[in-house]
Amino acid sequence: MKFECIVEQLLGAVATSVRFVERRANLPVLGSILLSADGGRVILRATNLECGVEITIAAKVLGEGVVAVPGAILYGFLSNIKGKTVSVELKGEVLKVEAERATASMKTVPHEDFPILPRVSAERSFSAKSSDLMRAIRSVGYCASTSAIKPELQSVLLFGEAGKLTAAATDSFRLAEKTVPLRVGGSVPQLLFPARNAAELVRILEGVSGDVEVYYNDNQLSTHIGEVYCTSRLIDGAFPNYRQIIPKSFSTEAVILREDFAAALKSLSIFADKFSQVSLQIEPAKKAILLTSRNPDVGEQVSTVRATIQGDAAAMNFNGRYLADSLQAISGESVRIHSNGPGKPLLIKDAADESFFYLAMPMNR
Amino acid sequence: MTTTKELWENALVELELTISKPNFNTWFKDTHITRIEDGVVYLGVPSQFARDWLSTKFHKDILRSLRGLSENIRAVEYVISRGPKKTAEEVVRTSAAAVSELPLEAVHQSTNLNPRFTLSSFVVGPFNELAHAAAQAVIRKPGIAYNPLFIYGPTGLGKTHLIQAVGNHFRQNAERKVYYVTTEKFSMDYVSALQSGKVQSFKEKYRQYDLLVMDDVQFLAGRDKIKEEFFHLFNYLHDNNKQLVFSSDQHPNVIQNLEDRLKSRFAAGMVVSITPPDHQSRLAIVRTKAAQHNVILPDEVLEYIATTVEGNVRELEGALNTLLIQFEMRGEPLELSDAKTLLRGMGSAIKKTVSVQEVVKTIANFYGVEENSIYEKTRRKEVVRPRQVIMFLLREDFRISFPTIGDKMGGRDHTTVIHSCEKIKNDLRSDSILNQELHQIRLMLK
Repeated sequence: MKFECIVEQLLGAVATSVRFVERRANLPVLGSILLSADGGRVILRATNLECGVEITIAAKVLGEGVVAVPGAILYGFLSNIKGKTVSVELKGEVLKVEAERATASMKTVPHEDFPILPRVSAERSFSAKSSDLMRAIRSVGYCASTSAIKPELQSVLLFGEAGKLTAAATDSFRLAEKTVPLRVGGSVPQLLFPARNAAELVRILEGVSGDVEVYYNDNQLSTHIGEVYCTSRLIDGAFPNYRQIIPKSFSTEAVILREDFAAALKSLSIFADKFSQVSLQIEPAKKAILLTSRNPDVGEQVSTVRATIQGDAAAMNFNGRYLADSLQAISGESVRIHSNGPGKPLLIKDAADESFFYLAMPMNR
Repeated sequence: MTTTKELWENALVELELTISKPNFNTWFKDTHITRIEDGVVYLGVPSQFARDWLSTKFHKDILRSLRGLSENIRAVEYVISRGPKKTAEEVVRTSAAAVSELPLEAVHQSTNLNPRFTLSSFVVGPFNELAHAAAQAVIRKPGIAYNPLFIYGPTGLGKTHLIQAVGNHFRQNAERKVYYVTTEKFSMDYVSALQSGKVQSFKEKYRQYDLLVMDDVQFLAGRDKIKEEFFHLFNYLHDNNKQLVFSSDQHPNVIQNLEDRLKSRFAAGMVVSITPPDHQSRLAIVRTKAAQHNVILPDEVLEYIATTVEGNVRELEGALNTLLIQFEMRGEPLELSDAKTLLRGMGSAIKKTVSVQEVVKTIANFYGVEENSIYEKTRRKEVVRPRQVIMFLLREDFRISFPTIGDKMGGRDHTTVIHSCEKIKNDLRSDSILNQELHQIRLMLK
């Protein structure tokens, strides 16, 4: 096997693929990237059996063939070379990679054991702008649970209805939901996309524009955008019926500037205790929200955020991180906070945008 | 013939020899047979990756090893299935507990009852008819008929089934609030309420119910704070004519480390026991369970199960399930001889004989006295009691004659033996510790 290609292209593909290799695999071949060269292109594949990726790049193929090389090593070498083009050649069991000023010989791994990447038939599919899908997942993904006790909460829920795609995630302490428009495909059943794999997909989507095609069946979800094919298993389970816990009416509503809120939360974190506790007092009389954090070993801080408030005064405690998290998905200038008093979840929204909301439970001390 | 689980385990043993270890560990982890139909084995695999790879790379090996084990198998299909649910891990929440949870679960889990347990699926026989009747009375006149209803009996006889059935019937009237809780859960709730300073809402939560069903209350023993909380809860519900239903493995009076005030309260309504089913009932149970699975087994097979598997209903179900899986796999009727081979080792039909020496040894050990001192003519207090217990058990459980017992116990007169047995029998009426001891000794002798 022998081929030549542009360094930047190969490096980009390897950098993406290497995130999909399994580093501590039982099966050594899963720690490697599979390169197959034929007919003017090179296909890179990597998988950890949870999800997998396949990237095609253009290349001048001088000899067809297949090889598996340890992903981390290939990536490490390529990310440090200079020059425009690189030549790759398999000699016996060694892969020779030649760049302008550096040459490396890498031991390869027998590639016969490299698994097939699952294909999903195009029967059931939808498509969206890649930036939309990325925004949907990114707006909620951080809420997914990291504990394996409830696998269904380790996921980003995706479903489509009436031409809109909804993404939601919760770890049962907070919950976020984001809606984006769909391009094709009106109704999509509930798909539980593992949050870790969804984060990888986001990183792929960051680098490309255009429409992304999503194919799914009961167990697997695949995305196709440009030259990148990405596939992930789906979690088998039922996502909690979260819509019925969203409060409909509120005793207090406050609108504040996002920047003020974010800055206050950031500096409050310096004084927060180990639970990141922040107390939030909504004071209609003072037209302000008072935020306090206190750590007996450090000291305490009180921040006042000016607000337009309707309704009653309210005071609650929150995990400050949970409040700050909500702001990363809000891009508008002001934030609307809805409360029903102590012990009840707090609803946070972009004041100008109805497509996102965030629900956080207060602390009970 | 073997069960599907054994079949797959045997096949895996063979496959492990032909496939490299890394490959085997990667691809055969979490696989299992979901079912066998018309000679087709449906193999459950964890993901599409595994399905694609197994079916292209290892299909031949898998089919060969399965065929080697069972000739009826002619094909293998792969299905994606997460496999039998792993038992839920106990979660001990630490710092995260400081934040309350969104009520994602509470919405459809307000009663904690398993809808599978109803009175119609409960087989009634002489061994449990009183308990069943009491349960029905409670359903008809909650809070009035028998309050509390206390059901006790050994494990696996349907206590949980019966008390949950009460809850399920009670729940049909939507306005009434029912809650089923195990004592373990109750304790955990209380402890976490204490830790998070929410004792008040804990109290409110449990006081709102019209029917509280509590399982395995014997575990209350020894937990002072929880017992106290329970005591107040009991009084509150009882005073407000709310129905209480309890289960336990013992009569309230013999539960160790339980205050008299609780014992007397448990016993205040109706205390009813479920005993192990007699032969006729066992037969009826096996027949009903088989019918629930839509399988008709020959009478002699049913008879065999009922005779072989003595004692508890859960074991009966286990035995029946073993047979049903076979039946499903083979698709042909089961004969008595099949049942016999399959259930070998399952039953306790042959009562184990225990030698006198063994009994003496076990009991001497239990009380921490020298075995030899039992046979000696000493009247030291610490030896006399064990000796009396030995004689009592030899008489009651092993039906040995008084003179023989006397003889074996170092040549004592049979009247001494009679006296000992009477003494222990009398003490048992009032001494709950002795009751416990005997219970444990009997378990050790089994």
